[in-house]
Amino acid sequence: MLSGIDYAVVIAYLVGIMILGLYFARFVRSADDFFLSGKSLPFWAVGMSIVATDISAMDFVGVSGQSYRFGMAVGNFDWLGSMPAMLLAAFIFIPYFWKAGLYTIPEYLGRRYNDHVRAVASLTWIIFFALDLGVLFWATAVMFEPLMGWKPWFSIIVTAVVVGVYTFFGGLTAVVMTDVVQMIIMFVGGATVLVVGLYHAGGWGDLVDKISAMGDAYQNHFKLVQPADTQTPFPWTGILFGLTFVMSNAYMIGNQAIVQRCLATKSVWHAKASMLTGAFFKMFIPVLVMFPGLIALGAFPGLEDGDQAFPTLVKSLLPPGLRGLLFAGFLAGLMSTIDSILNSTATLWTKDIYEKYIKKGASDRHYMIVGQLATVVLLIFGVLTSPLSKQFPGIYVAIQTFLSFFQGPVFSILLLGMFWPRATQWGGLVGLVGGIGTSVLLYLFKDHLFTIEEPFLYISWWSFVAGVLLNVATSLVTRRHPEERLSGLVCRLPRDLKGGCEAPAC
Amino acid sequence: MLNLHWLLNFDWLRGISPAAAKGVFLAIFIVSGLLVMMIPRAYIYEGVQDPRWWHNLKLWALGVLAMIFTIYYVF
Repeated sequence: MLSGIDYAVVIAYLVGIMILGLYFARFVRSADDFFLSGKSLPFWAVGMSIVATDISAMDFVGVSGQSYRFGMAVGNFDWLGSMPAMLLAAFIFIPYFWKAGLYTIPEYLGRRYNDHVRAVASLTWIIFFALDLGVLFWATAVMFEPLMGWKPWFSIIVTAVVVGVYTFFGGLTAVVMTDVVQMIIMFVGGATVLVVGLYHAGGWGDLVDKISAMGDAYQNHFKLVQPADTQTPFPWTGILFGLTFVMSNAYMIGNQAIVQRCLATKSVWHAKASMLTGAFFKMFIPVLVMFPGLIALGAFPGLEDGDQAFPTLVKSLLPPGLRGLLFAGFLAGLMSTIDSILNSTATLWTKDIYEKYIKKGASDRHYMIVGQLATVVLLIFGVLTSPLSKQFPGIYVAIQTFLSFFQGPVFSILLLGMFWPRATQWGGLVGLVGGIGTSVLLYLFKDHLFTIEEPFLYISWWSFVAGVLLNVATSLVTRRHPEERLSGLVCRLPRDLKGGCEAPAC
Repeated sequence: MLNLHWLLNFDWLRGISPAAAKGVFLAIFIVSGLLVMMIPRAYIYEGVQDPRWWHNLKLWALGVLAMIFTIYYVF
């Protein structure tokens, strides 16, 4: 429970972040300002914002819980799950998207394939983000209750009001700039737990010795690479094929919430540098969210639920004042994820659906207002649907599973679309829909097909393979696009107008 | 069905030890670094008005790769 000084820290954070966000409202006068910050953002802000968006408050509890159970292998998701995907994004895809003047990733798919592919991809992301909002609200609020003594509805309303106000008025600029502060607060809060925890554990060497002496079950706890036949969800084969080759690329290249801020940078150099800055800060994330789980294992072995590792550590180790700092870090994690989802979903809705199918050729200001209204509607939807998580406890896993269904197929059509001129519009559509269908089938029959408990890494790899094969097969039997239609959309083809790839790999 | 199971679960790679698999990951970082070094200078400095040494994004990328290589080498 929080003491007076803890409350003071949390309230100071909430008030400060709202004032900071509102300050940037003065720079928003058009749709371009609202969705892409008028292409004015510096690399360092975007790089830090990528990390803040990626890490939610639940990662502190969830990743700590997994490292408590399975050891350091969970760190692969931030280390190998970032590199080399962020290099590929920085040097190939992001500059390409930036030069094409895109607002959204589905917009590229629409230009490269057809409007059906754009609509399917965009609607899929909108549905995912909208459902994810409510789940994020509820899961984090429930997590806060025992730690902070706040009722779930109180946490949800406070967060929604603060985030809603600055996201509505300040657009992407407010989102990114508040993310910068939120990332710093998250890092300070996480580092506090780490330093205090390691001090109590007697240092890193003592911690390793203590856990290694717990028995055979803990011999792999400090190894990143797990055997192919491990019973944990992280065999090296899944990490290599599912995570490194597919999921990390899909996330860093195909996720609107990540890519959109890179498109808002002031130059193509800043766009590339922003991704590399994000990669640098991502290297520290496992240290902050994973190591507390290991410290908790050394201090409190035998917890029935791994997710209790982090809260137990916080309650027993942190004095008043530092707890408030950590909770401000939790709030920062939640708010930085929520604000990015709101702005990105509003962009997808306005640019890919509203402007394309509902009202073409309206004024720039009209589309900005539509984006702002979409932000409010989404926020209300997220708040109202948050109790669904209480009624359906498996909904969080279900939504994350839903995301894994289409990451592989989306990456497959992005990859072929950019590097294979022969890919046709129908190849893209069949690859996308067929790849998603393959994911669903593999998931439905996972108990018969896979030997590990949660085979989502394998499912994303095989759905990616299915997406590629279906795209290639369909493209080869359908009419190829004329070269002039593809110029500026496919590597190795000369660009006209705004598009074009000049990456050395192209 | 047995063949599908063997394929989907990567049973065909079970003979590879974790140490060899670790070598594969380290090789990925080395190859990535080599590819980064091959990027033309003009592409790296594109969009910069007055290039300085710290604008060289190759150094940034190689720095991050060195960090992750060390992590995977140690653990």
